[in-house]
Amino acid sequence: MRPLFRILTIAALVAALPGLAAAQDDDAALKIAEPDFTVISLPTSLRLPKFGSAFRVTHRFQRTLGEGDFGDLAGDLFGLDNGAVIGLEYRFGIVPNGQIGFHRSSRLKTIEFFGQYGMLRQERAGLDLSVIATVEGVDNFKESRSPALGAIIGRTVGDVAAFYIEPMWVNNANPLPSQLVDDNDTVSVGLGARVRIRPTVYISGEFVPRVAGYDPDVSHGGFAIEKRAGGHLFQINFTNSFATTPAQTVRGGTGSKDWYLGFYISRKFF
Amino acid sequence: MRRYIGTFTFVTLLCLSAVGCDEKLSDIAGPSTPDLEPSFTSIQQLIFETPETGGRKNCTACHHNVGRTPAGGLNLLHDVAYDNLVNVASAAKAGAVRVVPGSADASYIVHKVEGRPGIAGARMPLNGPYLSDGQILILKRWIDLGAPRN
Repeated sequence: MRPLFRILTIAALVAALPGLAAAQDDDAALKIAEPDFTVISLPTSLRLPKFGSAFRVTHRFQRTLGEGDFGDLAGDLFGLDNGAVIGLEYRFGIVPNGQIGFHRSSRLKTIEFFGQYGMLRQERAGLDLSVIATVEGVDNFKESRSPALGAIIGRTVGDVAAFYIEPMWVNNANPLPSQLVDDNDTVSVGLGARVRIRPTVYISGEFVPRVAGYDPDVSHGGFAIEKRAGGHLFQINFTNSFATTPAQTVRGGTGSKDWYLGFYISRKFF
Repeated sequence: MRRYIGTFTFVTLLCLSAVGCDEKLSDIAGPSTPDLEPSFTSIQQLIFETPETGGRKNCTACHHNVGRTPAGGLNLLHDVAYDNLVNVASAAKAGAVRVVPGSADASYIVHKVEGRPGIAGARMPLNGPYLSDGQILILKRWIDLGAPRN
């Protein structure tokens, strides 16, 4: 339980640091170009107001869309008949600009704990910069723990678009012991974008190339269409992996022709 | 200034949180050979010379020259095993090399313990039980590392 203890310690220390309680912009206000805390798997630099929270449920249906002909695909309701990798996520604003949360994915019973802190704001620095730290483990956090550190560099363009560059280092990305592999870590640079095409409709996409270290199969990527409705965001996505956590993301997709349908719902509580 | 001190502290703590996770090699090696490592000494001792409680015979039960000709012409007793394996041609299959340093896939010993198509004779150990996937993975890693005499 050491990584969990570390994360909880960090959360407690952050909450206790008066220096972090800097003047806060109105983070409860809707940012039209940045309506959610994730693109698909990549986090965004959207901030939670202090004591605000958000919930997200993810589904990745396990049927590859390219399997069989269109009739087969329609017969399986585009994968809905084949079960899904389901994720539940909750995040909470513990200090101004700082949030913590957890994500539970049914894929290998993975639990991820994360903390994110917004360091720079676009209004003052020209770019949004957040740091993020996560640790995840499979079998309900009992095994194969993978911590990760990264930065989220974001920029919105008016109310129209948001772009992200996210360098990330994931330790223990390789599921084999380090004695048996050349690389146990992965460095990736996630690229994400969201474009508003109608007043409440967006298209988004992300690609996470691995630039160093362990890089099996193909890099994770996906695109989505989204509808914002009040505090909700509904997303239909198409991805080449089941990844919803950093370690899963850098492990990549299952194959260049394997694409899966997904459906997310997120809800803000502030 | 206080804000930046806090931020620096936060980032430092995050870095400290991310030090050193890894899988256990013993989980891959399995319960009967938990100490198996990708080194020649370890493989010699725990795979070649020691039978397992699960029934797997030690290789040296047949591959020795005490009062007999080693099976397949391969003597795996510890004083000579390395020199009989690394960069040595198989006596049973023309063109095959028992251990090709740096290439587990090209090494005939891997073909034999995995029971790949095209091997001469039977999969090893003869009639099983065979090496586990984890044990084979460790053997292959030693070869991929250059099959050092370690």
